[in-house]
Amino acid sequence: MDRRTLLKAALALGLGGTAARLLAADDPAVSVDALAALSGKLTVYLGHGEGGLYTDIVGAIRERNPALDLSLRRAPSSALATTLVAEAGAGGPRADLFWSVDAASLAVVNGAGMGRRVPDDIRGQIRPEFRYDRWAALSGRIRSLPYNTGRLSPADLPGQIMDLPDSDLRVGWAPSYAAFQTFIAAMRLLEGEARTRRWLEAMKSKAQSYAGELGVVLATARGEVDVGLANHYYTLRLKSGDPDASVALAFTRDDAGCLVNAAGTALLSGRALPADFTRYLLTREVQSFLAEQAYEIPLVAGVAPPAGLPSMDTIQPPELDLARLSELKPALALLRDTGVL
Amino acid sequence: MKTPLSYWLSLPVAAAVLAPLAVLAWLGLQAELAFDAGNAAIVINSVLLTMLTVLGAILLGVPLALATTYIRLPGRPLWLALLAAPLAIPSYLGAFAYFAAFGPGGTLENLTGVNTPNLRGLAGATLVMTLYTYPFVLLTTRSALRHLNPAMLDAARTLGLSPGRALLSVVLPRARNGIAAGALLVALYTLSDFGTPAILRLDTFTRMIFVEYNAFGLDRAALLSLQLLALVAVILWLETRFGAERERPTRTATLDLGAGWRAATMTAGLLLMLAALALPLLVFGDYFWREGVGDFDPILAWHSAYAAGLAAIVAVVVALPVAYAAGLGRRGRLLERIAHLGFGVPGIVLATALVYVGLQLSVLYQTLALLVIGYVLRFLPLAVGSLRTRLERIEHHQIAAARSLGAAPFEAFRRITLPLALPGIVAGAALVFLEAMRELPATLLLQPTGFETLATYLWRVYEAGYLGRGAVPALLLVLISVGALVALLTGEERAGEARGA
Repeated sequence: MDRRTLLKAALALGLGGTAARLLAADDPAVSVDALAALSGKLTVYLGHGEGGLYTDIVGAIRERNPALDLSLRRAPSSALATTLVAEAGAGGPRADLFWSVDAASLAVVNGAGMGRRVPDDIRGQIRPEFRYDRWAALSGRIRSLPYNTGRLSPADLPGQIMDLPDSDLRVGWAPSYAAFQTFIAAMRLLEGEARTRRWLEAMKSKAQSYAGELGVVLATARGEVDVGLANHYYTLRLKSGDPDASVALAFTRDDAGCLVNAAGTALLSGRALPADFTRYLLTREVQSFLAEQAYEIPLVAGVAPPAGLPSMDTIQPPELDLARLSELKPALALLRDTGVL
Repeated sequence: MKTPLSYWLSLPVAAAVLAPLAVLAWLGLQAELAFDAGNAAIVINSVLLTMLTVLGAILLGVPLALATTYIRLPGRPLWLALLAAPLAIPSYLGAFAYFAAFGPGGTLENLTGVNTPNLRGLAGATLVMTLYTYPFVLLTTRSALRHLNPAMLDAARTLGLSPGRALLSVVLPRARNGIAAGALLVALYTLSDFGTPAILRLDTFTRMIFVEYNAFGLDRAALLSLQLLALVAVILWLETRFGAERERPTRTATLDLGAGWRAATMTAGLLLMLAALALPLLVFGDYFWREGVGDFDPILAWHSAYAAGLAAIVAVVVALPVAYAAGLGRRGRLLERIAHLGFGVPGIVLATALVYVGLQLSVLYQTLALLVIGYVLRFLPLAVGSLRTRLERIEHHQIAAARSLGAAPFEAFRRITLPLALPGIVAGAALVFLEAMRELPATLLLQPTGFETLATYLWRVYEAGYLGRGAVPALLLVLISVGALVALLTGEERAGEARGA
């Protein structure tokens, strides 16, 4: 069954939720059946990059709620954050909801004071470590080092991201992708401006640029580069389609290289509809879809993480408040100055 | 003398064309003026790409112009149409196809098993831009050659010059202005093109304006836009210095260049067709074969056609007074020149300015109206051009006769000028429609929320890296481009017949 039919069936019948609730009575995940139908006009700015998976979710929600008049504006998350900041300076944001695949873009929008307070019942559904006041985290993604299994073993990889320039590995990266820029913003916060600049300058000579991180992972599997810098799910998606692909996941320890980032929504208008739409995104059905099809980490307790992801206790992400990532601008300036972007 | 109505109607048009430039100047003034190494690299990349593309286009276009003028090729009109065809295909489609075809895991490797290198950066962008712009040089050079008086060539041959020497020393120097005109068009097109450097990742002005625009750098985007406009102004100034000097030929010259040249021309032409036309079709066809229609939503094609249709209608309505005024006198011609500026303003630059205008005038922000305004400002010269060629042929005494028979100026316009200008109106509208349907950068910035078009969808597919989903929109865009070419060629033919040529 392809992902679209699966999701449609799941959303239409609410089966996944009901069956699971029978098994686990204290399951906090809400089924889509428990939610009221959405109606009215809703403008959503959707930061894309997921090649249609998010479109499938939107399509299923649209189909289930015929009275919902939904317009979507799609562009990279950071571009939409830029647009929203410009709009805020000229009469206020034109969207009701900003659905970003990247926490930094949400932090930027909130830095301009745009995000409304997230209702408590929504916050209560999200894992405690991902509860924020002014945006609702929906799914997690981890920065990772996908490496070519034909050329390298995990022992050949540096344990620290800052040591990567000292290796003789060929690296693939996608500097124009929002998640990469956020990773640099995190590095700047954790290691400081000067070290980040030196890292970028040293990496520039050994890194090959790709348009997106799917391209990075494909290039790694082909052996065009030895190791890539990418969100974890691209590797898992590639492996699910082609289990023999010569690529596997590795993680650095306690630094920007294994930052846990989150996709989420910011409520930009005080109406109930954007919050209700977010409630749909936190249902068991959508969360399971994100885990099973997009290989993202569900952030509602009780929904199983994606197959193939190492257990979360083996990963040591750095301590960094995602809200601080609103300092994206100086990171972009660094990327520009070093000629990486 | 009373100022004609068409002047008054043209004035706001000229003002609207100038407004975005004023906005950019104002925005650019606010940017911190730091001409750093990054900025220098952008200038160098843009100039290098432009110069190399011009060189490539001359190396391809001039020999092909000579060959198609002087050699009797079997099926010459078809050859000409085919060799001119790449011009009708937007270069970003070519860039997308080359991006997908070459390199490890590309279409060529998948189909043949042969490893090919990645085509990116300056080399890749130059190749793609050359393939899709050389017809400018081919067409202008050919037109210059056809207007050469054959007497000098005959004299040179009679005096013992070999055909090759005669070409070099007698023909080419006199076709110089034609070659230069084509080269300048290539330069203008290359500087303005967004898709090719963006897809093949060369940091030219157009790509970096988009990057800055998306990274909180509207002021820097405006500053880069102004620098790009300065380069465009240089090209436009050069263009005015190469006026066409027309000889008055009694017949077209012929030169017998032998069978070797004929074979060489046909081989080169075939290779070019493979590279510029067959390869993109192969890539998109292969994706289509493997992925089918996928979840392609036909509403995208409707969105493209709807916005382009509105732009076409508005453009001809606006173009009428401008074209009319241009025939009335010096002030009218000045207004027409100003309206012509839009063609020199790259789409990404125009859109940057209009987004800012929209933010200030929120009734326009993210509306279809603003997108249509963008298209009209950009493609107005096409409509004015086709209208002017028609209007110029209307005999003024016909209008004078109507007036003397008691028709009011508007009635004379409605009953004489308008019907006679109708073919020009249709042709102008068709040109604007087809150009607007394929426009990428301005559409990316100005599209209303939820109003995805074929071109923006293709861009999104590239950005996300799921190239296979681009097959259907790309094939549709190729079809539209073929339609544009057919419309252009038949239009020119008809114009040619009307001129009695």
